[in-house]
Amino acid sequence: MSALVQPLPDVNPLQDPLRFARRVPPCAVVIFGASGDLSKRKLLPSLYRLFYERRISPNFAVIGSSRTPMSDDRFRDTMKDSVSKFLEDAPFDETVWKSFAQCLFYVPGDLNNPSSYDDLRVKLDAVEKSHQTAGNVLFYLSTQPSHYAEAILELGAHHLNKGNGWRRVIIEKPFGHDLNSARKLNDEIHKVFDESEVYRIDHYLGKETVQNILAFRFGNSMFEPLWNRRYVDHVQITAAESIGVEGRGAYYKEAGALRDMIQNHLSQVMATVAMEPPSVFDATNVRDERAKLLRSVRVMKPEDVPTYAVAGQYGPGKVGGQDLPGFRQEPSVDPDSQTDTYAAVTFFIDNWRWAGVPFYVRTGKRLPKRVTDIAIQFKSPPLGLFQQETKTGPREVRPNLLVVRIQPEEGISLRFLSKSPGSGMRVRPVSMDFNYGSSFGERTPTAYETLLVDAMAGDPTLYTRQDMVDASWQIVQPILDVWAHSIFDFPNYPAGTWGPKASDEMLARQGHVWRVP
Amino acid sequence: MSSAVIFPAQPEQILKGLGKLWTSLGEEEKQHGKPTVLRACAMTLIVATDENDGGFYVSQTISELMREHPSRGIVLCVSPEAEKSLEARVLAQCWKPFGKAQQICCEQIEIVARPESWPNVGPTLIGLTAADLPVIFWCRHQAALSPQATRDERAGLEAVSSIATKIIVDTAELNPEAALKLIADWQMQGRVVADLEWTRLTPWREPLAHIFDNLARENTFSKFHTVEVVHTGERPSSCVLYIAAWLSRPYNAKVKFKREQGYGPGIQRIVLHSDAEAIQFERSSTDCMTLSSTNGRARKYSYQDTGLAELMTEELSILGPDGAFNAAFARAQELIRELE
Repeated sequence: MSALVQPLPDVNPLQDPLRFARRVPPCAVVIFGASGDLSKRKLLPSLYRLFYERRISPNFAVIGSSRTPMSDDRFRDTMKDSVSKFLEDAPFDETVWKSFAQCLFYVPGDLNNPSSYDDLRVKLDAVEKSHQTAGNVLFYLSTQPSHYAEAILELGAHHLNKGNGWRRVIIEKPFGHDLNSARKLNDEIHKVFDESEVYRIDHYLGKETVQNILAFRFGNSMFEPLWNRRYVDHVQITAAESIGVEGRGAYYKEAGALRDMIQNHLSQVMATVAMEPPSVFDATNVRDERAKLLRSVRVMKPEDVPTYAVAGQYGPGKVGGQDLPGFRQEPSVDPDSQTDTYAAVTFFIDNWRWAGVPFYVRTGKRLPKRVTDIAIQFKSPPLGLFQQETKTGPREVRPNLLVVRIQPEEGISLRFLSKSPGSGMRVRPVSMDFNYGSSFGERTPTAYETLLVDAMAGDPTLYTRQDMVDASWQIVQPILDVWAHSIFDFPNYPAGTWGPKASDEMLARQGHVWRVP
Repeated sequence: MSSAVIFPAQPEQILKGLGKLWTSLGEEEKQHGKPTVLRACAMTLIVATDENDGGFYVSQTISELMREHPSRGIVLCVSPEAEKSLEARVLAQCWKPFGKAQQICCEQIEIVARPESWPNVGPTLIGLTAADLPVIFWCRHQAALSPQATRDERAGLEAVSSIATKIIVDTAELNPEAALKLIADWQMQGRVVADLEWTRLTPWREPLAHIFDNLARENTFSKFHTVEVVHTGERPSSCVLYIAAWLSRPYNAKVKFKREQGYGPGIQRIVLHSDAEAIQFERSSTDCMTLSSTNGRARKYSYQDTGLAELMTEELSILGPDGAFNAAFARAQELIRELE
């Protein structure tokens, strides 16, 4: 038999990358905080979906851990309810579930209790043998952020950070409460895990459209030449939510909009929009460029904060005939709360490409609709040859606008001017649209599916690195410091509106207006 | 679906008709005061059918395909019943994604040709292909693919395949010798060819391949010396040959074919034998597949017959040469010679 004399292959000869999903190695995923909301709503449905689509190895297991006492079977039943309920755009298959459930295990335990980690070790050893996970373990910290350091140090103390295979740890946001706490947390983590083993998750980076920004910018030659201060007038990044804090008042009153969204998600989005092209598309080079961009963002002086940052908090309002409570009327919220439910910041990027171009970033709750997008507003042509036709008569032309929609309808639109039919030279804006859903009709994987597979495959491109986290805290820290010592006249915008007047004034000072997305 | 006007099969007139169609869709847009129609095209998809296959079924499939692969669809129906030697109509296939305000529309051209006119259709098609985009030819005209094809059918097939970037056929209904010869002839001419019988194998191939991703596995793929494929047909069909070829090619493993009754037509079970282990992947019920190993656990997968639109969606994602198929195809040709 020729098989006996041929050398063993370096790669699987049955692989067919044209048709098969990317392969990930065998591994066990340990979820701390397994009875929590994130596990139920996102992690387990994503893992089930990956299993259903055969995108993870058959040699796979999940070990859930939390304080709630539960058997393996009880954990499986609980997770079955959650998965069937929270599975997005995908069917729940009883037969596949039975197979998936065989990969689910549970270890009850308290993160403070050292014996819990001994129990975990026993379970991991058993699973390594029964499910042939090759000793690879992905730890997922889905616990209270205040327990991150403690859990990681205990993993180290029990030598769970080393084993027969690789060990990696995913850490959910918020990564620290401010710059100092983030640095301290990094130091604690690095006592146990090397930076290459740390995966700080920012689910915005896992969204298809955010990834598509890189493809759009660096896969096409026609936009990149315009992508600079010479042609771009300003950039607006909006992440609006129509809902309030929805029972997260206790968490939100500690975080606020600036910490909850701008420090992490939106600063990473801004970095993706503005970064230089990497020389190679790999994790190191892409993250180097993102980090470099974040380090180029001008750090505000305290006296500049009132000019370039606006805090807001929603008050009661009426939407669609329905009365909505203000933030201070939400459960678990102090009636005199100074928490920002809206934040808008003008960033400047001090590099050759972007010097002088304002990047306006805003986020808020109880805004008129749920939308996240990035608008690149190009400069007007140097000479105004045409007038734009509108219902109220001709007016000056509106410049080109490129909008990258992240949610709800992922896609890209380019607004440009076209001549209106008929005699005379009147122009009107038309839109050229790329709709992600219609051009790629297959189900778009959720951000958590993408990011979990990446972590299992050892690809940290879409995860944030220590220096990126550090840089993003540096740019918001002066604002946090000033706001911490300010008394705001909250509420300053009614629920269902586009935020406080001061936010409009911030743009008006630069001669700009917020778009209505 | 919107608008349908009959034209003589002159490319200029057909394209003019298409232009009018888009103008009328734009009128609707104007009335709504905001964009309601999105025009999309990523390729030209030519579908050749015969009179038994055309009409709603093909249009329906194209409309399903356009969600992922928006195209200018050209349906070429060859029918002796055609009133004129060549005539065409244009229409737009539109769909509105759930919960969205905007319709996505793709254009479709239907050309009806008498069998004797089919060989002359080339210039018309060339004039109708979308500029700078790939041209995919999906041949559903089974008679033209068979060894008994008439001279006109062969010439017609050549007229269309000669302008195609990729040719897609389905050899499920052909005898495997004829099927493999047809594809081999095209490949000899340097054409990119796909067979939906290979596409149907993806749900079988992927879990099998996945097993050998585990580098810690004691029994590597190279140790499996025999591939056994159990099928329902009287003789191994194209897909049975393909799967056996794909599994046996890397290490020249021995191949055994076996016939048994099972759940639905086609492959029922695949068994890989090594000295130490057997890996079995079988249809364990009408909607379930079970992957098991004598050394390990069993894992179940849901199984659904892959619909035509899904098969085509997968094929349209691969516009260039398909190395895995080409390698398996070459080995399948050897296997069929061994069977003889």
